[in-house]
Formats: sequence, structure tokens, C-alpha cells
Amino acid sequence: MASGQQWVLVEMVQAFYEAPAYHLILEGILILWIIRLLFSKTYKLHETYKLTEREKEDLIEEWQPDLLVPLISKDHPSLKYNIVSGPPSHKIIVNGKECINFASFNFLGLLDSERVKEKALMSLKKYGVGTCGPRGFYGTFDVHLELENRLAKFMKTEEAIIYSYGFATMASAIPAYSKRGDMIFVDEAACFSIQKGLQASRSFIKYFKHNDMEDLERLLKEQEVEDQKNPRKARVTRKFIVVEGMYINTADICPLPELVKFTNNKFQIL
Amino acid sequence: GNMTESSSTKLLNGDACRRTINGKTASKNGYVKNRCLFQQPQNLYKKPFVESFEETPLLVAVLTYMGYGILTIFGYLRDFLRHWNVEKCHVARERDEQKDFVPLYQDFENFYTRNLYMRIRDNWNRPICSVPGAKMDLVERVTHNYNWTFEHTGKVVKDVINMGSYNYLGFAENTGTCADAAIEVTQKYGVGVGSTRCEMGNLDIHEELEELVARFLGVESSMAFGMGFATNSMNIPALTGKGCLILSDELNHASLVLGARLSGSTIRVFKHNNMQSLEKLLRDAIVHGQPRTHRPWKKILIVVEGIYSMEGSIIRLPEVVALKKHYKAYLYLDEAHSIGALGPNGKGVVDYFGLDPKDVDIMMGTFTKSFGAAGGYIGGKKELIDYLRSHSHSAVYATSMPPPVAQQIITSMKIIMGEDGTTLGADRLRQLSENTNYFRRRLCEMGFIIYGNDDSPVVPLMLYMPAKIGAFGREMVKRNIGTVVVGFPATPIIESRARFCVSAAHTREMLDTALEAISEVGDLLQLKYSRREQPLPSMGWMSEESLLQD
Repeated sequence: MASGQQWVLVEMVQAFYEAPAYHLILEGILILWIIRLLFSKTYKLHETYKLTEREKEDLIEEWQPDLLVPLISKDHPSLKYNIVSGPPSHKIIVNGKECINFASFNFLGLLDSERVKEKALMSLKKYGVGTCGPRGFYGTFDVHLELENRLAKFMKTEEAIIYSYGFATMASAIPAYSKRGDMIFVDEAACFSIQKGLQASRSFIKYFKHNDMEDLERLLKEQEVEDQKNPRKARVTRKFIVVEGMYINTADICPLPELVKFTNNKFQIL
Repeated sequence: GNMTESSSTKLLNGDACRRTINGKTASKNGYVKNRCLFQQPQNLYKKPFVESFEETPLLVAVLTYMGYGILTIFGYLRDFLRHWNVEKCHVARERDEQKDFVPLYQDFENFYTRNLYMRIRDNWNRPICSVPGAKMDLVERVTHNYNWTFEHTGKVVKDVINMGSYNYLGFAENTGTCADAAIEVTQKYGVGVGSTRCEMGNLDIHEELEELVARFLGVESSMAFGMGFATNSMNIPALTGKGCLILSDELNHASLVLGARLSGSTIRVFKHNNMQSLEKLLRDAIVHGQPRTHRPWKKILIVVEGIYSMEGSIIRLPEVVALKKHYKAYLYLDEAHSIGALGPNGKGVVDYFGLDPKDVDIMMGTFTKSFGAAGGYIGGKKELIDYLRSHSHSAVYATSMPPPVAQQIITSMKIIMGEDGTTLGADRLRQLSENTNYFRRRLCEMGFIIYGNDDSPVVPLMLYMPAKIGAFGREMVKRNIGTVVVGFPATPIIESRARFCVSAAHTREMLDTALEAISEVGDLLQLKYSRREQPLPSMGWMSEESLLQD
């Protein structure tokens, strides 16, 4: 063993003598630099930013928040709601005056249908007014299930689900399917509830011009080109198109047959 | 020295406690540490605040993890069998034409749903076909393929004691003054409104309702919305935005979390009901400002709930209000469960602690739980409500509350306040608090681990092990008692629980029946984990219990 060690030592010493000068000088400089760094004082920049308790208390006292809500002028139109007294049917009594009703969403005139009211009263006498619980905890009534079955049959789909608030339906449905990293193509004139759903889903959003199928086609072709560049990412990105049947903002109908024809079953349409 | 005097004069609200109550003298640099707010919390509370969250026994925790481990292994085995078509697959699949689409659900995301939730799915979404009052009728359903699909047999299980619905004051009824008033209004106004609040949807009933709610809460003005969840998710974005800070409790409800996210503000979370954690966050926020730019925050909003429905704990409101006043933050209080259920007059957690409603900047609540209706409200100063009327998403875009629902709220609120001339409201409030105390006391005596405050009508009973979740729900239904069991992801993974909601409509006999059944099931499933010392009501009971636990 000793001879082995001796042999290695001889090798080392020989290497030392045979090394070129610049190499030794470089190594020497590096070793001196390391020693200097090890023994120099630590970088003290953060200490100058550490605040004393006194300064913290001063900052806390000085800070003034904004008003919780900015003041609204007394003449803002939203503060004067129209008061409706009486049922909102074809004629409606607004602020004491009787008017013809062109403002409520009552397309089929069912708001004051006697049959609907009778059934509603029957159900009120059987179930009371509220459900006192979410769907999961004894808030599912047999009438909910019946409604869902009928809706599914009416819309010719396999199943249906109902929500208690119209606004929340779209705002909850979009984030349920589309997550961060997915792609959504949506019409510019989409309603507010869809916009909130898109915001909550955190996906990539691309807008196409209102009811303009060529614009949509252009966007889709661009997307295909992107996909071919990066096929691995394309395999996990889901893509959706969101359109409304009848737009509340512009009162048009979306061209569904064309849309289905040219997307050709390659996209999921919401 | 002079420095402490000048700093104490700059304080607001006469918090002169700095130098006197502490009894401490100024230290070397003339500064006294301000910790007096939390050294004497007893000064702020008028009654004892008793909350307990007993720790999980170690053996139980180990067994629970083992249980989940075994279930996961079996889950992988079943997935493997399904993949190779040895076992029939019931999972929803895309249509054939869409086979080459990116799948809607990644296989792994649904692992928990497919393999664990499906096994005990029959405990949830149970359909009922009567009023969700103290007793209800369940629709019987059977499954022939291990909970993948259900069939209704056509039979009805009658008179099941309902410990699951949020019916704290018993207003879920189909007879009586509330139902009669709602029927009248339906005949007069119809079923729906068909328009938004700022267009043609503002009925005179809505005006009456809002004025009544403002009087009930003791605030200047209030506004009502059609859905409780949406109240939070649509109004928090109107109040805060970029450059604001939201401090929210760890265990806040999904609606508050969604509202905070949609607003675009920075969100920081403090430990559940922990005032030291909240104070530390407040101090750090004000001192250091916004992240990276260090500009001062525009507003700080503290978001808390009155009663937390999964824990049964009550927020430490006096301390939160003291903190908020000292640090000039705003307070958003979500009283979804506590309105109507706490307090000598039923006016919620502010009433329970005897505080001034004007101290809470934004009081939010729902009408679903104690009032037997649906919808939510926000109450506060007139400027706040005026601003919300013009800027809230719900007021501008969403349909307003249907007339019968609004009338139900009006009638039930008048009953609670006593304005209908009877003592029905006061009786119900007293009955609720008696029922709560009795139920909790008996359950603790039996040896179960119960979380939460002694006064909260929400009673979580710890189950821990995954198999016991399903077993408890099913055994209770066999004994004709409907309960709610909760597991992951609504609770932390090892802390699954059964949650009882005590109601004023429950009579002493119903509670006794329920307690007997719970005790029986507890013995059967070995749920009596508590290691606390029991009080000494009857020696016989106690010695038996201590033998069992040893």
C-alpha cells in the first residue's frame, strides 16, 4: 500500500513540474480569490432595508386607504329604479302609469299563464318555498329530476342539469370544461355572463368578429398551423367554440348550420 | 420618553391602552411594543367563547392514511382492468366521431371521483319528495351496478328525521302564515319577473324587502339579489380591483374565493380564525406595500364568515373589528349560516357578540338557510349600496328575485322580528339555542369528537376513515335519520366528518331518537374517539366510557 501511495505522490509532483507556467499561475489566482471571498464580509444590502419597529408603526399610522366606494352623484340613473306594481304581463304598471310592456323577457307570454300559476301553487303547497340546501345535501327534489329528464328529451340530448340562477349557468359551465392552458374561440358580442365564465376559466381567449364565419375560419387555420409546429402541446390542449343562439347584445342569430358544416366535427361547440 | 407620547397621541379611536393597561414601561429606544390588543381578549367578549378542535388521535390518523393507501392501490388495479376491458367501463366517453379529440377529462384528474367517490355516491344527491322540514320523505333508489346508475323503485321512505337541511328556524314549511302570504303574492304577481333590476324588474315588493332587511340588520340600506352564491361572486369584483388586497380566511367558502379571484386583487390567506396570523399579515401589508413596487395598497379588505359550515366555528368578531379599526382596513362579513341562527334576536353574529352593526363595513348574507327562501343580500352604508346598485354585475345583468320568494322572506323576517304581533319568532330562536346546546352536550358526553363553538347550530362529528363515511350515512338512513357526510375535497383528506344541522323545528323527542341512533351507530363503527375527561353527571355512564377508551 505504501508503495501505491508513494507512486501516486511521485506522479503528482511530476505533473506539477511538467505543467505549463500559465496554468499554475491561473490556478494560484483562483485559489487566492476563493480565500478572499470566504473571508470577506457578507453582502449587507438587505440590512439597510430592514425597518425598525418605530418606522413600522409610523408607516402604519400614516397609511390612509381609499374610500371603500367612490361617491356616486345623486343624479345617477341607476339610483332611480322604476317601481313596478302589479304583474309583469302584456300591460305593466310602472311608477303608477299603465304601459304596454315591451321590456320584460316574456316571449311566449307564460309569465301570467293561469296553468303555470296553478301548478306553481300546487307545488308551493306541497314543498314550501325554499329548498334549504344544495343539491348534494337533500336539496334535490323529485321535481328537479323530472325537469332535467324533460329538458333532456326536449333538447334531444342524453342528460341535462339545471341551475337556480341564469347568470351563473354560463359562468360556471365554462370553467368546468375549459381550464388553464386550453383554447376558446368566442364571438365578440358574447354576453356578460359568458365573459365572466371566460375570465374564471383562465384559458386563452381568441375573439372573432360577430357572426363572421370567415374570420373564425382564419383563426382556426392559424391555430392548425401552430398545432403542427408543436404537436405535443396540441395533443393536450382542448379547444372550444362558444356562440350564443340569439345574441342579447345585437339581437342576431348565430349561423349554426354553417358553423357545424365547416368545423366539420373537429371542435367542441359550447 | 417624548417619543412614546407623540406616537400614542397619533392613534385613532382613543386606543390609549398602549401605556396603561399593559403596565409596561418604555424600553431603551422609547418605544412600547403594541401587543395589548391580544393580551386581554377577555375585555372584548361579553360571554365565554368556547371552541374546541380536538386533535386527531395518532392511531386513527395512521389507520386513515392506510385506508386511503389501500383504496388507491385498488383504484389503480381497477383502472388497469378497465383499460384492458376485463371490467366493463361505465365512465362517460366521447362519441365515436369525437374519438380523436383531446379528452375532456384527463384520466388522472378523475381518479378520485372514479375510484373513491363512486363507491359511496349513494350518500349524496338523495332526492326528497316533501317539505325539507324536521321530517321529510326520501325517494327510495337502488343501484344494480355499484352506484354508477340509480333507479327509483317508486317507493317512498316516510318520516325520515332531517338532520341535513339548513332549516335553522324551521321556516321550511308548506302551511302557516309564510306559505299563505307566498300563495297570495303568486296569484297577484305571477311566478317570475322576466327582467333585470335596473330595467323593469324592480317590483314594489323588492323595495319593501330591502327596507325591511336594512331595519333588521340595523344598517342604513341594503340590496337583495337572486342567488346567494352569485351575491359574493358578483359583488366582490365591484368593490375591489387591481392594487387592492384581500385577506381571506383559510376556510372561506367557494363563492368568496371565486369573487376574490374574479376581482383581480392580490389575495393573502390567514390561518383559520387566528388573529395573530391576521395581524401579522396586516402589518406586513401596510409596511411593505404592494409586492415588487412597494406602492401603498389602495384598500385592504378582510373577508370572513360568521359561522363556518364545515367546522362549526364562529368568527372572533370583536377581535377582528378591533384589528380593522386599528389598521384602517374594511371588513366583509358573510353571514350565510349565522343570520337568523345566532344572537338573542336572531340578527346574526353581530348581535351574538353585542357589537355595533355600523362597525362592519359590508354585511352580506343569504336567505336560503334561516328564512326558507332563496337569494342573498348586502347591507351597509347608503353610499355603498348606491354604488352597488349602479356597478354590481347582478343589478345590471341578472334577473331579479321572483315575487313569491321575496314575500316568503318578508313574512319570515317579520315573524323573527316580532312585527307580526306573535311571539313565534322569539319562541323559535329560544328553541334553536336550547336544541343546539342540548344536542352538542349529549354528543360530547357520548364521547364523539365534535368540532366548533358550543353555540353554533352546525355540529360536525369526526369520522376520519374513508370506509366510515359511507357506513355512517347508510346506517343512519336505515334507522330513518337523514344525515350529511362530507369528505375530501370539501375537508382535508383525513378529516372527513358527518355534519348535523340542528333546527328549531326539531322537538326534544326527535333529538333523543336521533341521539340514540347516533350512539348505536357510533358503537357499531367505533366512532367514539374522544379522549377528553367527561364532566360528572352520572358515575355509571362515565366509568363505562373510560373503560371503553382504555
